[in-house]
Amino acid sequence: MTEIFQYTPGNSPLHRMNPVTKILLTICVCVAAFVTDSLIVLAALFVFDLLIGLTGGVFRKTLAVLKGLVKVSVFLFALQALLVRRGNVLFRIVTDEGLMLASKVVLRLIVVCLPLTLILAVTKISDLANAMVQVLHLPYPYAFTLTTAIRFVPQFMEEMTGIMEAQTARGVEFDTRNSIKKIGMILPLCAPLLISSIRRTTATAVAAEVRGFELRNHGSGYKKYGFGPIDLIAVLISAALIAGAVLLRNIP
Amino acid sequence: MIEIDGLTFQYDGAASPALKDISLSIEDGGFVGVIGHAGAGKTTLAGAISGIIPHSYKGDFYGSVKIDGMDTVDNRLTDISRLVGTVFQDTDSQIISSVVEDELLYGMENFGVPRGEIEERLSFALDEVGIPQLRNRTIASLSGGQRQKVAIASLIALRPKILVLDEPTGELDPGSSRQVFSLLRRLNSEYGMTIIVIEQKIMLLCEFAEKLVVMNRGEIAFSGDVRDVLLHIDELREIGVNCPRVALLSKLLSEKTGRQLPAAVNIDEAERMIKEMIA
Repeated sequence: MTEIFQYTPGNSPLHRMNPVTKILLTICVCVAAFVTDSLIVLAALFVFDLLIGLTGGVFRKTLAVLKGLVKVSVFLFALQALLVRRGNVLFRIVTDEGLMLASKVVLRLIVVCLPLTLILAVTKISDLANAMVQVLHLPYPYAFTLTTAIRFVPQFMEEMTGIMEAQTARGVEFDTRNSIKKIGMILPLCAPLLISSIRRTTATAVAAEVRGFELRNHGSGYKKYGFGPIDLIAVLISAALIAGAVLLRNIP
Repeated sequence: MIEIDGLTFQYDGAASPALKDISLSIEDGGFVGVIGHAGAGKTTLAGAISGIIPHSYKGDFYGSVKIDGMDTVDNRLTDISRLVGTVFQDTDSQIISSVVEDELLYGMENFGVPRGEIEERLSFALDEVGIPQLRNRTIASLSGGQRQKVAIASLIALRPKILVLDEPTGELDPGSSRQVFSLLRRLNSEYGMTIIVIEQKIMLLCEFAEKLVVMNRGEIAFSGDVRDVLLHIDELREIGVNCPRVALLSKLLSEKTGRQLPAAVNIDEAERMIKEMIA
């Protein structure tokens, strides 16, 4: 689970692309998914997401994320399908329009979530932050907040696992099959986890401060993030995605 | 030069001061070891020297700490950090980046190290700590000891005038611990870097440090040349600091022979001492 947010080293076109371009591409996929109302276009965007995963050499990770999303999707699909009242009834309270809408919602969720996770798989967080500071002149404290948040996810998961293992070793049944019981046991762990995370973030803040945090600005980066032919291609693809989504928004 | 004068510090909400009326001066180019039982105030002392006390950890601060004449209270933490580099005890929270190389670049970029110098400093720091092969690894994939080395390397790359290390070998095996101390000695003798190291492994301190500061309940119990401090074996044991056995040996020999022998700090010295006795 933790590795989903982690960088996969590589030298694919996606790895070499300017981080800012990757953000643009991601945003364009999201915008396209929200602009369109066509199931076909959404399906095409989904295929496009899978292609991104393939090009970046992180297809296995793509599937892992997809697997996680399917669980949420099933729930969301059922909810939508049962609640929509318009259209022709197919089975008791399920209507054809309900099914259509549910499929679109689920597909849209997947289409939007995939590139957001994949961008982290093919971009170092530090490059992402540095490029945003250098190219887009985002104030550094915001970039730092972003990178720290993402960097702490696996650490907190590690810590959570640690606490749970320690308690399992002392007889707490975390390996129970009863999910409700398990949730009941996990909840009391939230307080110590929160306290330790606050302590840890304070320490990180101090560590950043003594290494010149306040002096950092958009000129500080050692690595420079230039734009190349790959970026041009990505920008063209982004534009095509938006244009396609707008033009084809009314097909089924 | 570091001048601490009458420093008393009490953390907000604490019942008693963590440091009580500390006065200490450390010359440029010194190699000072700080030792003492848990809760003796070692980390607070290190924090006061690096300026994070009182800048980041609030409390009542009396007295003064001056680094090269610069008062740590009146100056910004960032300005103090240009002179004093700090390696914290908790390595995990000290690491900011997700990849080793970026971690080393971070401070250099911020303090504006010239572009031409960066690559050289980066490989120097990695080589010296003995982890050039980890350069492109993610931090998450490293062991505790490796992370500790990354943290040390990231400070060495900054080449501060003074380097403060809080238990830098806590997660290291004996071999790597010695390696770190050898590195500190090199930084000290070749680059004139002032080294202040908090360490529980007394044998390492005795071998590498020139001066020893022994802390006890927020006060300095003993301070001076390593050999002089080691003469107080019994008092040290009372406050929870065990002396190396070679020091104990020289004390016992002094008592038996009635001669005032200097404390031995390593096995070679003890051997020489015994040989002289026999001869």
